[in-house]
Amino acid sequence: MNGDTEHARRSACEEFLYHEAHLLDDRRVSEWFDLVTEDIDYRVPVRTTRERSAEDEFSDQSYHLKEDHESLRVRIERLENDFAWSENPPSRNRRFVSNVAVLGVDDAEIDVRCNLLVHRSHEDETSPDLLSAERRDTLRRTDDRLRLAARTVLLDHTVLPTNSLSIIL
Amino acid sequence: MSNNEATRTTDGTTPPTDEIEALIGSVGEQIENGQLPVSILHNEAVYEQERRRIFGRNWVFVGHETEIPEPGDYRQRYIGTDPFIFVRDENSEIQVLFNSCRHRGSKVCRSEKGNSSHFRCPYHGWTYTTSGDLVGVPQQRNAYQHLDTADHGLHEAPRVESYHGLVFAALDSNAPSLEASLGDATWYLDMYVKFIDMEVIGDPHRWEVETDWKTPAENFAGDNYHIPMGHKSAIDAGIGSDTATGEKQSDLYAIAEASGHSFSLYQIESEEPSFWGHPPEVVDGFHPERLSDEQYEVARKSGVTLGTIFPNLSFIHLGGTNTPEKESVGTFVLRQWQPKGPGRMEVWNWILAPENASDAYKERVYESGMGTFSASGNFEVDDIAIWNGITEAAGSVFAEQHGTTTNFTMGRFGDAAPERVPDWPGPGEVYVHGGLTDENQLTFYRSWYDAMQEEPDR
Ligand code: FES
Ligand SMILES: [Fe+2]
Repeated sequence: MNGDTEHARRSACEEFLYHEAHLLDDRRVSEWFDLVTEDIDYRVPVRTTRERSAEDEFSDQSYHLKEDHESLRVRIERLENDFAWSENPPSRNRRFVSNVAVLGVDDAEIDVRCNLLVHRSHEDETSPDLLSAERRDTLRRTDDRLRLAARTVLLDHTVLPTNSLSIIL
Repeated sequence: MSNNEATRTTDGTTPPTDEIEALIGSVGEQIENGQLPVSILHNEAVYEQERRRIFGRNWVFVGHETEIPEPGDYRQRYIGTDPFIFVRDENSEIQVLFNSCRHRGSKVCRSEKGNSSHFRCPYHGWTYTTSGDLVGVPQQRNAYQHLDTADHGLHEAPRVESYHGLVFAALDSNAPSLEASLGDATWYLDMYVKFIDMEVIGDPHRWEVETDWKTPAENFAGDNYHIPMGHKSAIDAGIGSDTATGEKQSDLYAIAEASGHSFSLYQIESEEPSFWGHPPEVVDGFHPERLSDEQYEVARKSGVTLGTIFPNLSFIHLGGTNTPEKESVGTFVLRQWQPKGPGRMEVWNWILAPENASDAYKERVYESGMGTFSASGNFEVDDIAIWNGITEAAGSVFAEQHGTTTNFTMGRFGDAAPERVPDWPGPGEVYVHGGLTDENQLTFYRSWYDAMQEEPDR
């Protein structure tokens, strides 16, 4: 593979990830929602503390979020409602996205991994909630742009250190 | 927030005991007038007494039998704040073992769940069976010849009993039987856990919240008044129960004083059976022969049921959906409000489905439960955002100085008692227009007051 192409591909992924993070930080959730495909598969599995020898710390049955296009739309719609008390007044969120790596590529899609740190605060609090995770994303090439086709957020938490997950990770 | 120790306690000091007894006493004095001193929701000394008098004496939910189906399956659990291992031993018996080595006290089980034939302590290597027997002491011949190993097994929770799959334990060996403690509540619980063989799906959601454990216990005991306001955003989005979205018309019955426990039942009057939204092919797997005719009729009309089993186990059995496009299913969600400090709790949330339903149905049950009641649940998130504000007020000096109270007088109209249902088939005190009474929440706080007496009343 040609080095330039590889570099350009990673840049394109980074550009996408930074852009969507920016939209989410700015609470432009509807615009963010336009960036996901109709067949989006979005998951945040429950993690448990296991022995080192255990096969997996992440459940394949239990999720904090396990969303398709319809259920994400419900969440977006609710977030824009003035009576959504968990986000009115809204929490302030800043997403730090790093360690971006392209894992696989075919004509249609790119699999990409990155780290995510969300700095979240509410009201008068001075100590933020910090949510740390690895993301595994599938970005799809569509006519006009890359779109998010699948996301699995692998949290570094077994007990969530935040009052509620009323934000998109 | 969660990182900020400074916000957790009011002033870090423990008021003298007589002040606490006076505060507890003032609950007893005011509760029958429908007033609750709000300070009890965020007070270090009250919390310390709750750990002992409530979580140290009463039956506390530990887990569901289906979470440990095979011999050797275990889960770490807590009774109040105390660490225990919920394990199925080699004889398939359920054990609740104190997670602390008899040698120097280390945790012998440090993973949240798994399957093991033994628990081996990482400190010096003492090894226990899944029944808690001490079977290995390194260099025993040279070091511990004198040790009576039979006498050094892991300590067990003094009382462990299951009610149709719901496993509870009590630290007080003199506690009455689980069935006696549940008392009249069994008439209602039977409709969910005896009529239906329920199964936990996967692992519970766990998250930490700046709310006192009593606030959600009170809410699930019967605060149906908050739904139109507190949950407007989710209802506007067309999700949740069919009775809340207006898809179905229902009558709400509040069941107070069911042996200290409370329930809310949304009943749908219709020829067509409701069974919490479970479809006929799933209902076919239920067990009508295990219910009385009266219980069966109540189950048949059930849209949503919720309640609190004192002290800190609540549930909601909800016929509804997490997206308006998808068919309603019956989701059964168990939630435990685990105390984690004054004005702080960890939520444990289990989603259950009928054991013999199809995998596809169970998956929909899970999605619907997660989308409504979980850390991301479209209903739950708004509850918690609101509850946290109570904690701040409850911890205030102002509340302490002035004995400020919260109000539980809905539907009483001065001295008039709220309207009772005369011909209800089940036990407890039953109120019609159940959304407009606080009797269920008063039941919860009466249980709290009784449990907080220095000597248990038994
Ligand atoms: S503390 Fe467990 S073996 Fe010593
Ligand atoms: Fe609620």
